[in-house]
Amino acid sequence: MLQANYFDGRSTRVRVVSLSVAGEDLIIAGEGVDFRVPFADVKVDERLGLAPRSLRFKDGAFCEIRDLDGLDTLLRSTAHRDGRVDRLQRSLRFVLFSCVACALMAVVAYRWGLPWAAGEGAKHLPPVIGKTLSVQTLKILDGAILTPSKIDKERQRSLNTKFHSLRLQEGGTPNSALLFRGSLQLGANAFTLPDGTIIVLDELVTAMADDQQIVAVLAHELGHVHGRHGLQLLLRSSAVGAFWTFYIGDVSSLLAAAPAAVVEAKYSQELERQADDYGAALLLHNGLSPGLLADALQKLTERHPGASKAGFLSTHPSTDERMRRLRLLSPSTPPSE
Amino acid sequence: MENISGIQPPKQAPAARPPEPLSFTGKGSEYFGIWIVNLLLTIVTLGIYSAWAKVRRLQYFYRHTQLAGSSFDFHGSPIKILIGRVIALVMLVCYNFSVRLQSSMTLVILLIVAVVMPWLLRNSFRFRLYNTSWRGTRFHFRGSVAGSYRVFLLNGFLTLITLYVMAPFMHQRLKAYQHDNSYFGRTQFSFHARAGQFYLIYLLLLAALAAFFVVMGVAGVGSALSTMAHQRQGGKVDPALVLRTVLILYGALILVGVSIGPTFRALITNLIWNNTRLGEHRIECSLSPLVLIWISVSNMVLIVLTLGLFMPWAAVRLAKYQIESMRLLPASDLQEFEAAEPESLGAVGEETATVFDFDISL
Repeated sequence: MLQANYFDGRSTRVRVVSLSVAGEDLIIAGEGVDFRVPFADVKVDERLGLAPRSLRFKDGAFCEIRDLDGLDTLLRSTAHRDGRVDRLQRSLRFVLFSCVACALMAVVAYRWGLPWAAGEGAKHLPPVIGKTLSVQTLKILDGAILTPSKIDKERQRSLNTKFHSLRLQEGGTPNSALLFRGSLQLGANAFTLPDGTIIVLDELVTAMADDQQIVAVLAHELGHVHGRHGLQLLLRSSAVGAFWTFYIGDVSSLLAAAPAAVVEAKYSQELERQADDYGAALLLHNGLSPGLLADALQKLTERHPGASKAGFLSTHPSTDERMRRLRLLSPSTPPSE
Repeated sequence: MENISGIQPPKQAPAARPPEPLSFTGKGSEYFGIWIVNLLLTIVTLGIYSAWAKVRRLQYFYRHTQLAGSSFDFHGSPIKILIGRVIALVMLVCYNFSVRLQSSMTLVILLIVAVVMPWLLRNSFRFRLYNTSWRGTRFHFRGSVAGSYRVFLLNGFLTLITLYVMAPFMHQRLKAYQHDNSYFGRTQFSFHARAGQFYLIYLLLLAALAAFFVVMGVAGVGSALSTMAHQRQGGKVDPALVLRTVLILYGALILVGVSIGPTFRALITNLIWNNTRLGEHRIECSLSPLVLIWISVSNMVLIVLTLGLFMPWAAVRLAKYQIESMRLLPASDLQEFEAAEPESLGAVGEETATVFDFDISL
């Protein structure tokens, strides 16, 4: 005998009934209620912790049961079997497995899944999106931390010519626009907008020994353009932001992180290496030595010992290792210590 | 009237009935198993299972919520929640892209969102209430489509052009639209809070914020001036002291930042429920702002410290406090509610098929 509260589904009247099983049938008997139904027609609520469970009948009536152990005993004498998820939720082993699996998947998704998805996404996004984003971003940056360039027009034109006469391995010449800007905060730096526009800051131009070193830095930036790294980073930060918004339920951080993402982007070491490799190959293809890029990096290291000032270096980790790699790729310059 | 309200009028002067408190019997440790298994299944199915997980989550919380010895229940179909989520996701993506890209399409997309949103929200209210029951009797929402456009679009527009001066009024209209059109079975809810009461809470909090910033400003400028004066007289400035002052001011700012939301929520929720009636039954809600601040802040800290694992305990803690601060003050026997006649629901198809659920939390 199992006690339950019976509701007819038409009013909130509580009727105390007792339940029992006879053969294939469930018998419900109590205050003004007395009937039997084939157990096959009864829907059994799954277990949710110690919450009351109900046995539901086809006409909308149901019995609410608080004595969960009693219900288990009753169910054992029937053909009822707990649902799969119900059993998983109660298995300590599966709960522990879920903890480990979720943690592992979170790490894998962040470490490999996200970069892969961002790479694929950046490849397939229509160019108009990169274009519009870049126009917007540049407008915001110009109003905030970028100032007009102080490099004279003649120098700008000659750098532009040198840059645009680079021959790309994949054929043709760079079709990225080259823009010159000044900035107090960003130091000697160059960065790429999502549509491939490269922005060169005045301090970078004055820091380099000659135009060839500047071209070497631009070759590296072309590597970012080629791999669409700017768009990739934007997608990554949007995905991470969206995830946290979803998880914690805060809606404020989702919008417009684009301008910050471009400038403060911590290009992962992997993306930097890709850009270096592309730049080195491009320089070789044009009869220039990848050592030039190493020299440029050297110059920047000397300029910012300890790389404390925000600039080209802070976003580009382990400069020593990169210079070594680049010098190894150079045919003319022996690897230096 | 008694036919519609479904409550028989009291035969003599109503005897004082004891208040019926809501109680919540869920436990964090118990919910953890349900939560983590459903999280795993959601990840493995690339999010599709999240609709089923949501039904389980709501059923866990509803069934653990009890009034007068009986539980609430949730009956929503996962498929409909899934459809709702797909729609919500598409709209969110469209909205985000249109805001970021600001092209000629932006206005068109925003216009479409604005036109569709009130209709979707109204259907989402219907879905949520229709699928909630107590003692087998379902709740209903019968707000009109026209009403939802008035509440969301017209009042939203008025709020914007009056620079949010009308925000408390809009809030009151929204709650009136929701509560005046809600039913439990045949019994209608009614909403009695006036816009003035909403204004009072908004103004109180604004005044508190303003006072806080004045004090902060005076303290900040005062300590800066005294430091400078001290320096001018040749004194040495103790960097530790400066640091401490800055930290104290910064800490106060954070404290106010995390308190303002829960305080507002506690005051507004109390106002709303204390002025809502179900037929002749009154409802009481007594959330304490301080307790709600404590729960919100400690939950947030613990979730971050445990890298999210505290989530189920946090959800249970918050639900328990919020649910158990509510009481029903019955005017008559709670056995007397009647379910709505099936035909008064309108087309069943309309009631159940055109439903979208907009809650996109885990």
